[in-house]
Amino acid sequence: MSRELYLAIHAAEFPAQALLRLRPELHAQPVAVLDGPALQQTVCSLNRHALQRGVVHGITRLEAEGIAGLQPMARSTAEEESAHAVLLECAAQFSPRIEETSRGTACAFVLDVGGSERLFGPADTLAAQLGRAAAGVGFRVAIAVSENFYAARMKAASTPGIHIIASGEEARALEKLTLALLDLSIDQSETFAKWGIRTLCQLAALPEVELVSRFGPAASRWRALAAGVAAHNFQPIEPALELREFCEFESPVEEIDSLLFVAARMIEALVARASSRSLAVASLAIEMRLEGGQTHRLTLHPAIPSADRKFLLKLLHLEAATHPPQAAVLSLAIEAVSGHTSKVQLGLFAPQTPEPSHLDVTLARIRAIVGEDRVGTPALEDTHRPHSFQMQALRAAEQDRSYAQPAARIALRRVRPPRPIQVTMRGEKPAAFRDGDECFSIASAYGPWRSSGCWWSLDAWDAEEWDVEAADRDGVALGCLLVRDRLRNVWQLEAFLD
Amino acid sequence: MAAAATLRLQLERSLEARFPAALTPVPRTIREVAATGIAAVDELLDGGFPVGAISEIVGPVSSGRSSLALAFLAARTNEERICAWVDAEDAFDPESAAASGVRLGQLLWVRCGGGKRKQEKDWTRIDQALRSTDLLLQAGGFAAIVLDLGGIDPAHGVRIPLATWFRFRQATDRTRCSLLVLGRASYAQSSAAVVLDAEPMRIESLGGTVLHAGAFALSRRRQRFQPQSFGARKPPASTWTASAQWAMEQSA
Repeated sequence: MSRELYLAIHAAEFPAQALLRLRPELHAQPVAVLDGPALQQTVCSLNRHALQRGVVHGITRLEAEGIAGLQPMARSTAEEESAHAVLLECAAQFSPRIEETSRGTACAFVLDVGGSERLFGPADTLAAQLGRAAAGVGFRVAIAVSENFYAARMKAASTPGIHIIASGEEARALEKLTLALLDLSIDQSETFAKWGIRTLCQLAALPEVELVSRFGPAASRWRALAAGVAAHNFQPIEPALELREFCEFESPVEEIDSLLFVAARMIEALVARASSRSLAVASLAIEMRLEGGQTHRLTLHPAIPSADRKFLLKLLHLEAATHPPQAAVLSLAIEAVSGHTSKVQLGLFAPQTPEPSHLDVTLARIRAIVGEDRVGTPALEDTHRPHSFQMQALRAAEQDRSYAQPAARIALRRVRPPRPIQVTMRGEKPAAFRDGDECFSIASAYGPWRSSGCWWSLDAWDAEEWDVEAADRDGVALGCLLVRDRLRNVWQLEAFLD
Repeated sequence: MAAAATLRLQLERSLEARFPAALTPVPRTIREVAATGIAAVDELLDGGFPVGAISEIVGPVSSGRSSLALAFLAARTNEERICAWVDAEDAFDPESAAASGVRLGQLLWVRCGGGKRKQEKDWTRIDQALRSTDLLLQAGGFAAIVLDLGGIDPAHGVRIPLATWFRFRQATDRTRCSLLVLGRASYAQSSAAVVLDAEPMRIESLGGTVLHAGAFALSRRRQRFQPQSFGARKPPASTWTASAQWAMEQSA
């Protein structure tokens, strides 16, 4: 049986990291995150540059704004949730057993990595890989590896960088850490301060019996924690795959290009997370919160699940250009539905068909030109009503081999919408008709072909069709389909025979 | 004969600095064609419409342009290929296409002129149709694209820049796509490999009461890749017949 081994990952100042993750342009600037009611906002989190400028936690907004160059930002719970999911997803790449140990403004996890040496190599290699993976999704994290759960957690929470605590060296690794890591009450902390006990090393050196007699049974556990020997019952969480990214803007965004700039990074993160599980993005739901309280939604459905960031971004670009938001955007949320990466088996003798991802982009571009619902394949409806069809998406995969081509038929060229005409009757047959200013004489008329239906509903029809051979004033012959609406007693030019 | 061959060789060698292989016939590239499924038309076209080239069917309304184009698409879609119909006038009839044997599931229909404005100008529709065709050609993978300008006023159609047709010609050649242009006049001019002139339909009836079929006359105005035949010449014109749609129901 492999020995126990725990890896602690600690992302300090998480509210600031969550906001800066999708805003690389602010990485080099001092940033402070403000939290609280509108007039009582205080700094709850800050980045390294802000710390160097002398910003501390708890100062008011007014004080923060007085510091030159400081970029104050409002705390976003939604972005923190999104970032939390991303960091958890990142950690889940290295171990399925993860326990959350987040406290205060930090986001922290402890991974049970016992027995993973054959997969990821020794502990230092594993820690370095995890550090790189976290940096890849925009987080600066501290990492500690130990055989003791609490030793790893406390070391990562107190010291930046990567630390590998050798077996039996836990007490030495923790000796300089402060008592603040033990979650003592104020009274207990003051008592230890009066005794001159400030580090875990000093606490671990105290006699256990005397300590318990003064603080109660909890003191025994503090001592074990300080010595790095406290036992822990691991309680793993089960991270669900939630592909969602959220970004709240400091100021309303009006330009599509600016929006896409942010969306590109969000899509990249979503694709990377899906790819890490050997999945692709099957659909994207984009939700924009607009000024005025409205919400603008867009949905992208590629023909096949795709892990191509540029392709998905292009689709979003075209969709946003076709359906732009009607007001400035306050926040952007992108939720992806994962799907299995599809692999198309091409045949040497199979006919060439459009490449699905190229076709998606092409159709989106054409939709932007001719309009929505004007591109697709026609599907006839199961009805006797003439000219009934629906537009559907092109599905190149659906093929029916058992289909015989009939002989050539006379095709119709539809007149949309049908033009009302004036018809002169001779007996029971039309003899001439007038279409606007043009007069046509009818040489021969074949009909009437009557059809009716839906007499029980509002969209009832009752029509009489005539196939006519007409000629204009110059004698040019043409075949027409004339229809008399028997319900309204109106003649219409429906189509030309062509 | 040997002396003639020797003489030809000597002449070619003496002229090769200026005219390589002066007296040797240039090897002819055999162009791939796609059959329309109508025997008379295929005979007129030496097998069918050329693949990777522009073909035009020119004629007035009721001259069989749409019927011929649908028959061609029926043949292509039955080979499990994807085709497109770019409809500048929104005049395509899906029922006619289905009756002609077109697999509708493998046909992309682009309906131009359906913007927010009810009455789109001819130029707007032409522009939409040309841009859509351009995109489809660039995307590749379509075996045939029908650009239906059949209802467009020729005065507008002839104003389509020749550079557009030249670009289409290059794209069709690159993507092995047959681009079929329907119009009341020839628009592609020198970029078209085949131009067919369609005559108005002659209706055939059964006892003067039922429209039974339409007879269409077709003549070949231009065929760039026509093989040089020194024997019997192919007829430059032909007649083909299309039955009425109800005939299918009758036979079924």
